[in-house]
Amino acid sequence: MAAAGARAAALALLVLVAALVHDWPRLVPLPLLALGGLYAVQLRVDAAPLDPAAAGVAAGLLVTAELAYWSLEEREGFHAEAGERLRRTARIAALGLAALLVAWGLLVLADAVRARGLALDLAGATAAAGVLLALALRARAR
Amino acid sequence: MRRVAGPRLEGYATVVATGLVAALALRRPELVALAAPFALLLAAGLRPAAAPRLEVSLTLAGERVVEGDALAATLGVRSDRALDRLELALALPAGIEVVDGAAALALRLRAGEERTFPITLTCRRWGVYDLGRVEVRARDPFRLLAWQGSVARRQRLRAYPRSETLRLLLPPRETQAFAGSEVARAKADGIEFADLRAYVPGDRVRSIHWRASARRGALVVGERHPERNTDVVLFVDSFADVRRGERSTLDDAVRATAALAASYLQRRDRVGLVTFGGVLRWLQPGLGLAQRYRLVETVLETGVEPTYTWRDVSVLPARILPPKALVLAITPLVDERFVAALADLRARRFDVAVLEVDPEPLVEPGPGELDRLAYRLWLLEREVLRFRLARLGIACARFGEGSPLATALEGVRTYRRHARLARA
Repeated sequence: MAAAGARAAALALLVLVAALVHDWPRLVPLPLLALGGLYAVQLRVDAAPLDPAAAGVAAGLLVTAELAYWSLEEREGFHAEAGERLRRTARIAALGLAALLVAWGLLVLADAVRARGLALDLAGATAAAGVLLALALRARAR
Repeated sequence: MRRVAGPRLEGYATVVATGLVAALALRRPELVALAAPFALLLAAGLRPAAAPRLEVSLTLAGERVVEGDALAATLGVRSDRALDRLELALALPAGIEVVDGAAALALRLRAGEERTFPITLTCRRWGVYDLGRVEVRARDPFRLLAWQGSVARRQRLRAYPRSETLRLLLPPRETQAFAGSEVARAKADGIEFADLRAYVPGDRVRSIHWRASARRGALVVGERHPERNTDVVLFVDSFADVRRGERSTLDDAVRATAALAASYLQRRDRVGLVTFGGVLRWLQPGLGLAQRYRLVETVLETGVEPTYTWRDVSVLPARILPPKALVLAITPLVDERFVAALADLRARRFDVAVLEVDPEPLVEPGPGELDRLAYRLWLLEREVLRFRLARLGIACARFGEGSPLATALEGVRTYRRHARLARA
């Protein structure tokens, strides 16, 4: 199982490298989804009640995605001002930290409502569907 | 400016949708935690925003430049609102390069702030260039969406051909009536000594050659050659251009034309121009600095316009080719129509000389036996062509890679000197 996971992770890394080398931004989400999928499989296999490491995984995925897109933007060859790279690094670090906090807050919330019955589960599902719908409507409006 | 989605938007939306669906399917809140930061980023980045109003300008230090020289320019930008990342890319036409500074800039701009960036441009090739178009892209702080467009405030830049300095020019056989720098063959008031003859009543006393008169015991008058101007018509072949890499016969022809025009005009000669090809352009002979600029401006517009129609010199107005003018043809001698025009001009008793822009170094024989044979035949045909011109009394000399224009001019001068001796 671990060997299969390592192979899948290596493949995801290869896809990410290919996306960066060949300047294919559409490929960038694939390794993120693959890593997220691996994590989901591991959760399924372990059957742990709630994994607190999810916050770290979320932050890691976001930072990976931001760094990958930054790398692709750098290929465009724009001459940036002095201090731009430092500012950008700080911004990505802040985004990672924010992602960690948001994910951790969600996990705490999920842990709190876990034992309170089906009504809260339904409310959670409805909220998730609502977020998806709102995003879809917004994207269409543009 | 139009708003466009960046690759992040699509990618993050995919991650969020997949994460949430997987969380529902597997009933794992951890997957919602994975998708949540991406969803929040999308929500923050997709908030409505108006397009920024940008003022972008490219200011050139001059409108004219000699090819190869540097030209200072300033790129200025101002925005009505703060922009986290504004990308500016100068759309430069082929032949113009940035030698100092950046042609593509990314900067951060505060609301109302005006920024200027000095850059140095250089023109690799002569010509007329339209500058001033700048591609603009303003990204939002989360890089999800961007406003992009193009700002164009046209600035015309004329790059004059770099010409070599010519010490010796080709003198025409006949001079004109006005004062100039060319010693005429006629005898009149001048500086250069021509001959001695016996005094006749009416001769001015100051023209008496006292030393010769004392030797001969009778009054003798010294005759002189006057200094006159000449008319030169530069006859440029624009039927064909032989090009290989950076080198082109038309480029060399234009540079030679500019050099000849400048040198002749410096001697107070009248210089005219005819570019004979798909598009016929001409400039009546004139003199002075204004004529020099007119000539260069006309020659800058020269290009090869493909045409299959036969064209001869009868299409030229008579005033363009004044009598006794030296017609100096600058041609790679690859188009039959131009060669026929030269023969026609010679038949009309014009003084014609050919400066051949040598296309042979630009043409390589193919790899096959037949290709090499064709190449040798082509070289032989060119030799025959030169021989035909020589038989018509048209001097021809080559210039190009490794052979400067001055050498070709000297070659034509030598030919004409010997031809005159042979005739005598």
